[in-house]
Amino acid sequence: MAASIAGVFEENLQKKILESKVLVVGAGGIGCEVLKNLVLSGFGDIEIIDLDTIDVSNLNRQFLFHKEHVGKSKAEVARKSALSFNPNVRIKSYHDSILSTDYGVGFYQRFNVVLNALDNRQARNHVNRMCLTANVPLIESGTAGYNGQIELIKKGLSQCYECKPKPTQKTFPGCTIRNTPSEPIHCIVWAKHLFNQLFGESNADEDVSPDTADPETAAEAGKEALATESNNKGNVERTSTRAWAQANNYDPEKIFNKLFNEDIKYLLSMETLWKTRTPPQPKLWGEFTEACVSENSVEANKSRDQKIWNIEECAKVFATSINFLKDEFIKLAEGDHLVWDKDDKHAMDFVAACANIRSKVFGISQKSRFEVKSMAGNIIPAIATTNAITAGIVVMHTFKVLQELYDQCQSVYIRLRLTGRNKLFDPDKVMIPPNPKCYVCSPKPEIVLKVDTKKMTVKSLRDDVLIKALNMVQPDVIIDGKGVIVISSEEGETEANDNILLKDIQIVDGCILKADDYFQNYELSITVIHKDVERDDAEMFEVVADPGLLKPEQQNLTAQSTSKNNVAERMETDGNNSDSDCCIEDEEIISILSSVVIPKKRKLSDEGPSEKRLKSNNEDDDLILVD
Amino acid sequence: MVENNGIELTEQETELYDRQIRLWGLDSQKRLRAARILLCGLNGFGAEIAKNIILSGVKSMTLLDHQNVSETDFCSQFLVPQESVGKNRAEASLLRAQALNPMVEITADTEKLDDKPDEFFHNFDVVVVSEATTKSQIRIDNVCRDKGVKFFAGDVWGTFGYSFADLQEHNFAEEKFKHKRGKDKKSEMVTTTVKRTVNFPSLQKVLDFDYTEESFVKKIKRTGPSFIVLKVLQNFREKFGRDPSYKDRSEDLAKLLAIRDEIAPNLAPDSAFVHVFAQISPVAAIVGGELAQEIIKAVSQKEAPHNNVFLFDPTTCCGYVETIAN
Repeated sequence: MAASIAGVFEENLQKKILESKVLVVGAGGIGCEVLKNLVLSGFGDIEIIDLDTIDVSNLNRQFLFHKEHVGKSKAEVARKSALSFNPNVRIKSYHDSILSTDYGVGFYQRFNVVLNALDNRQARNHVNRMCLTANVPLIESGTAGYNGQIELIKKGLSQCYECKPKPTQKTFPGCTIRNTPSEPIHCIVWAKHLFNQLFGESNADEDVSPDTADPETAAEAGKEALATESNNKGNVERTSTRAWAQANNYDPEKIFNKLFNEDIKYLLSMETLWKTRTPPQPKLWGEFTEACVSENSVEANKSRDQKIWNIEECAKVFATSINFLKDEFIKLAEGDHLVWDKDDKHAMDFVAACANIRSKVFGISQKSRFEVKSMAGNIIPAIATTNAITAGIVVMHTFKVLQELYDQCQSVYIRLRLTGRNKLFDPDKVMIPPNPKCYVCSPKPEIVLKVDTKKMTVKSLRDDVLIKALNMVQPDVIIDGKGVIVISSEEGETEANDNILLKDIQIVDGCILKADDYFQNYELSITVIHKDVERDDAEMFEVVADPGLLKPEQQNLTAQSTSKNNVAERMETDGNNSDSDCCIEDEEIISILSSVVIPKKRKLSDEGPSEKRLKSNNEDDDLILVD
Repeated sequence: MVENNGIELTEQETELYDRQIRLWGLDSQKRLRAARILLCGLNGFGAEIAKNIILSGVKSMTLLDHQNVSETDFCSQFLVPQESVGKNRAEASLLRAQALNPMVEITADTEKLDDKPDEFFHNFDVVVVSEATTKSQIRIDNVCRDKGVKFFAGDVWGTFGYSFADLQEHNFAEEKFKHKRGKDKKSEMVTTTVKRTVNFPSLQKVLDFDYTEESFVKKIKRTGPSFIVLKVLQNFREKFGRDPSYKDRSEDLAKLLAIRDEIAPNLAPDSAFVHVFAQISPVAAIVGGELAQEIIKAVSQKEAPHNNVFLFDPTTCCGYVETIAN
C-alpha cells in the first residue's frame, strides 16, 4: 500500500500508481509474485486472468497457493490471497483463457499497462498483437530455472514479441522414431505416440509400426518383397494399432510381443538400416535373459522414481499400466479417448516402461522414470527466487512505464553466473527498435509462404499455417486481385473449400493472399511460392518473413547459445503446460536475423542437436527460458 | 556445514519439490532439508527471504525480531496481517510463514538481537541479519566465523538494497559445460563437475575498505550511486538510531544529504534519495530473492557464491557483485 501512504513515493509516481489500472495475464510463478508487488505498492485496480488450476508441483514457488487449494482456479485463489495483504484493493479475477474472443481490443484498452506472466508462446504472441493494436504498453517476462528475462513492448518504440525469429520446437523424422532410434528421447517420443495409438487421439503422423517408406531403404531391390510380405502378414500395414489391440483385448503379453519382437524382427529384415548401425535385439515376453539380480546395490537403494528399472521391472510396469489404462479407456463413451498427462501415474508409468524396453531393444541407455518424465512432459524447472526477482523487475519497469521513463526500460536478463562485468542482472544498454520487416508490428506486414500447393488443403492452410504457425484466431483469406474468398471466419461459409487443394482453388506459385484477423485487427499479405515436398514428414510449408535473408538453421541457433543474452526456447509440446512458464528467445540471434521461419515440421537430421544436449543446456546460464 | 544425511526424501517431498529438484538435484534438496536458518529482522526484505527459504524446504527457520508491526511494514511485509499493528513482528508473521510450507519448523523469537549470547548463533547453519547496526553486524559475523556458521547481512531502503556474504572458507561444486565431438561426429554438451574453494574476508575488513580511493570511485561512476547511497543510509541509522521515515520526509532528506556531503560528495546526486523512506515491495523481492538464492547455494554447496557484496541499481535494474577487501 506504499502509494496510499504519503511520502513513500514522490508525488507524481504516487498519483500514477493510485490512478492506474493493470492487467496481469497469468497467475503462475511470476503472476503470484507480480500480484503481491502490485498490491503492496498500492495499485488499487488490478485484473488477473488464468485458465489453469493449482497443482501440488506449483506450491514450491506459487506462494499465494497452499495445499488446500490444489485443484482450484489459480486466478481466484491468487485474488483471495492477495486481498489478505490489503482488503481495500479492487482485484477482478477471470478463470479463463486470454485467447477467448471475450477479450477483444476494447478489453485491453481499459488498462494503462499489461503485464504478461505466461507459460506458452501462443498466448504471448496473441497478447503481443492485442496490446499493439490497443496501443497499451506490455511488459513481457519469463523464467526457466535460474534464468529470467523482462522486456518492455511498446508500439513504435521497442521490438515486439514477434519481431525476432524464435527457435522452433524440435521434432524428429518419422523414420528415426519408427525404425532407427538412437537416443532415449526417440524412444520416449515413440512411447507417447504408442499411448495415443492405443488409448488417445490417434494421429496418422504418430504411427509406431516400422516405416517401410524409409528413404534409406528406398533404392532397395528387396523393398517390394518386404512390402508384400508385410501386407500378407498384416503386421506392418495393420489397419490400426488400436483395432489390433482391441481385438486382442489389450493383452499385455501379446502387445509386448508384437511391439518388441515381431515389429523388431521386421525392422531387422530391412537390412540396409543395419549396415552402419547396431541392429536391435528382439525381446520376447517372459524370456528376459537378464535375471532380476541386475538390481545392483546402487540402484536398489534408490526410489522407484529415481532408479533404472531392469527389463523385468519394465515388463511388470508395462502390464500393470496397460491393464489400468484399458479399464479407464473402456469406461469412456464411444469415440472418446484418454489424454496423456505426465502427472497421471499410469500414463507416465506406461511411457517410462515402453521407452525403456525399446531403449533396451535398441541398445540405448535407459533412463529413470524421473528423467523420462522431464523429457516426455517437457518440464522446465522453476524456483521461487528467480520468479521473485523477475516479478520485482517487472513491477520496477511498471513504475517507469507509468512515469513514461522509457529510457529506463531496457530488457533485463537474469543469470545464474555473473557476466564479464560481474553482473547478475544484466540490462541491455539501449532499447532495441522494432524490426521494420516484422510480420506483426510493421506498417504493412508481409510474408512469403513456401508451400506444396499440390498437397496442402485449404483446411490445412487455415489450421496449420494461419492459426498454428502464424497465431491468428479467426482468419479470413481472399486471393488478392481476384476477390475470391478462400477462408471465411463466418462459420460454415467456406466449409466447402476445406478439402480442396490450394492449386485447385487458384492458389499457385506467385499468387498473393490477403489474410485478415478481425479479432486481432491484423492484416497480412502472403506471397505464395510453390515447392515440391517429397515425403510426408518433410516440411509441408515454411514461412519466410524477409525473403532477402536465408532461413536460420536450428543448429546454428543452438550452437551459438553462449552469449549472455541467449535464450533458447522450449515450447510445451502437448498443451499440458500447467507449470512451466516457458519461453523467450535468443536475443543475440535475434539481432542478426530479421527473417522469421516457422516450418510446420522441422526435419532434423541425425546430426541435429539432441534432446540430451538441450537438457544439459537447460541448467546452463547461457540459456534462458521463462516462468 | 550441512551434510546430506543420506535419508531418502519422502514421496510427499519429491512431489512438492519436483520442479526445483529437477534444477538443483536430489543431493542439494537433501542438504536443504537438514539446514537450520536464523533470520533476524522481519521487515519486508526479511519477509521475502523467509518466503523463499521456507518454500525451498529447509529443516527449520527461526524468525528473530523484537520490534512491533507498524504502518511502514505494509509497503512490503506481506507476512503480517493488517490487524497486527503493535504486535511483535516475528510472532505476527508466524501463521502466514508456516502456511507457506507445513514441513518446515518455524519459530518466532521476540528477544533483542543484541541481547542474544554468542552461543545462540552457533545453533544454526546460516545466520542472516537485517535492520541491524554496524556494531551488531560485526559482532555476529565474528561469532559466526568462530564456528563456521555461514553469515549473511543485507538491507533494503526504499528502492536501494544490498546483500553481504561471509562464508569464510567455502567449498562448492560447479558444473562446467563443454562442447565435444563424439565418435559419430555429433557435437555433444559434456558436463563435468569441478570442486572449488573460495575464501571470504570478514565484515570488519570489508567495512575498513577505503571506498574513496581513485579506482573504486571510477567504478562507482560507471555502476551508479548505489554503493554510496547505501553507505549514507547505514550512516543515518548509526547516527539517529532509526531509518529515514516518510513521516519526516523533508527533514530526513536534508539529514541524508548532509551525510552524503560529509562522506562522499559528488558521488550520489540528490535525485538518488527520492525513494529511500520505506521498503518498496518489488525491490524487497529482488534483493530478498538474490540473498535467498545465495543461502540455497551456500547450503547445497553448489555453484560459486557471490563474493562478497551484491548491489542493486534501481534506475537500470542492474544487479552486480563487488568483491571488496579480498
